[in-house]
Amino acid sequence: MTATETPTSEGTRRITTAKAMAEAIALEMRNDPNVFVMGEDVGAYGGIFGSTTDLFAEFGADRVIDTPISETAFIGAGIGAATEGMRPVVELMFIDFYGVCMDQITNHMAKIHYESGGAVKVPMVLMAATGAGYSDAAQHSQSLWGTFAHLPGIKVVAPSNPYDAKGLMASAIRDDNPVLYLFHKGAQGLVWMAKNPRSIAHVPEEAYTVPIGEAAVAKEGSDVTIVTISLSVQHSLDVAEKLEGEGISVEVIDLRSLVPLDTETVLASVAKTGKLLVVDEDYKSYGMTGEIAAIVAETDPTMLSKPMVRLAVPDVPIPYARTMEYGILPTRDKIEAAVRELAS
Amino acid sequence: MTAGSGVAIPFPMTSSDDPSAEGVVGTWFALDGEAVTEGQLIAEVQLDKVSQDVHAPSAGALRHAVAEGVGVAQGGVIGHID
Repeated sequence: MTATETPTSEGTRRITTAKAMAEAIALEMRNDPNVFVMGEDVGAYGGIFGSTTDLFAEFGADRVIDTPISETAFIGAGIGAATEGMRPVVELMFIDFYGVCMDQITNHMAKIHYESGGAVKVPMVLMAATGAGYSDAAQHSQSLWGTFAHLPGIKVVAPSNPYDAKGLMASAIRDDNPVLYLFHKGAQGLVWMAKNPRSIAHVPEEAYTVPIGEAAVAKEGSDVTIVTISLSVQHSLDVAEKLEGEGISVEVIDLRSLVPLDTETVLASVAKTGKLLVVDEDYKSYGMTGEIAAIVAETDPTMLSKPMVRLAVPDVPIPYARTMEYGILPTRDKIEAAVRELAS
Repeated sequence: MTAGSGVAIPFPMTSSDDPSAEGVVGTWFALDGEAVTEGQLIAEVQLDKVSQDVHAPSAGALRHAVAEGVGVAQGGVIGHID
């Protein structure tokens, strides 16, 4: 937990999550000639969700490299560059595209350090857009962080706001391990998508880091703990602020990374409130909600004064039709209902 | 939201194909009444899915002339610096 790094909308230098990501990459590129960017539409287009905006104009085609639609090839090229000492930031556009390049990700990027007996490092960032909510259907709307957190050898981060997006990107680029950086399309602050004001906040101009593996107490509370990540943090904070007026005090834990997982902050909060809701936009079974439940049960199940509640996508493909899509997503209404039930 | 005076901030020309096309302020990064510095990023405007940053033309107090999402002609005033 890092109370001093709680994001804030105070201050006048407000930017979007997308701009914060690009700014972090630019700062690292200016400081280290080994950092470069590669992926589909990362150049003049600036990333289809704004993650590399303006980098091409500053650094040119040698360091911001547009690739063909060839995920296995360009992720493999990134791994090769990383093993030779460069620090590639490779964008896989949508995380849903992992299917075509999973061998490079899990059998090479994640395992080379181990299989070389620690002799070879892979200081690479693989970034990808996650998440649903805008009718992009079953192959462009998944979260999938639980899938990668399950596989050993990859750090997995997913910021919920501009401040963390910049600080976690800097940490990811400087890390000697492969880091999967998952940004939610709905938290990028893009003008062409429905946006929560929490996606636009004060970000310091200078370089700084947010440590990977430390959760944030996004809001302190005493009655119910919500453990969540990414865009669901924004929804949970909206609900927590609404319920505060009715005397229900909700603590919101933003995990910020699944690997490493900050169990200490989770357990401290659950010990305090005795009531736990885990909110996840990934699939329910065998995922983050079950992992958090298991950690509480293994540590001390008597911490819970009521059975905990899991709110996640109910193991179905994400529907295209908007009403059906919102029917399966962990929306504010469902979060609020679950908190009310736990608090009653 | 005030009518404002001072230095006008125009909606940038983003569509040369259709100079009469209207866009919107997608995001006000700087709030109405806030002090801004020259060159500070204050807004992101959007026209036909093309977005563009707007920077403060001078230092002073920013006054919004339009809210986010309201249609504005290219060259139309979106705000002022007092």
